[in-house]
Amino acid sequence: MTYRPPFIKQGDGSRCQWQNCGCAAHAMAAMRSRLGRNPNNEHGWPPTPSEIRNRIGGGCDGTNLQENAAAVAHLYGVIMLVRYGVPWNTFRSLIISGRGAVVQIRYSVIAPTRFDASPGFTGNHAVYVNERRSSDGAYYVYDPLADHRRSSIPQGPQWWPATLLQRAAYAMPGTSTGCVNASFTRDTE
Amino acid sequence: MAVKHQLPKTPKPKAPIEEHKKHAEEFLKDPMYATKPETLNDTSDEAKP
Repeated sequence: MTYRPPFIKQGDGSRCQWQNCGCAAHAMAAMRSRLGRNPNNEHGWPPTPSEIRNRIGGGCDGTNLQENAAAVAHLYGVIMLVRYGVPWNTFRSLIISGRGAVVQIRYSVIAPTRFDASPGFTGNHAVYVNERRSSDGAYYVYDPLADHRRSSIPQGPQWWPATLLQRAAYAMPGTSTGCVNASFTRDTE
Repeated sequence: MAVKHQLPKTPKPKAPIEEHKKHAEEFLKDPMYATKPETLNDTSDEAKP
């Protein structure tokens, strides 16, 4: 069975918490990549959004894939493969073949669904995708906002229909038509 | 009334995992996809508490 990292929420009270989706998603990706094993270096473990954020530095602007990939490489020795304009079929193959991925999405697609974990938010967001279910093609998605801080907000990872993840990823402004932007873990299978 | 017999649906052939791995490895070797498009703003936005 595919290793499932623990859910790491972005709303943890730390600095820039509501801009830390990329950091939280990469923290979960780092856990997947290391199968939960502590690298036993001078940095903390398990990974936290705040440690990744502090490594990126600067103010509280949103982060991108490259910044987060560089941070987890430095902190945890985790190599993420950032790719842009990934055709959906290729994305599916990468997940099926044993990789996790941080995927960039537009939250306006998620907002009208039961998976909405930040009512009123419609902007750019990052989620961690751990695996695909072969029976219906759904993806096991860790939305860092899904912390059940209110009863209406989902808690932890959820099985998102493939079409929902696909539409949300396609809707990222500036993305090639029919493609996604993502940062992939190593193949752990 | 004649009963129309239905043939069982043929399941879609699934690519073996080796095929997916091969596809994935070949894709990751292509440097073109590692370059960020100039039009892309992939910075995340501030979510709502």
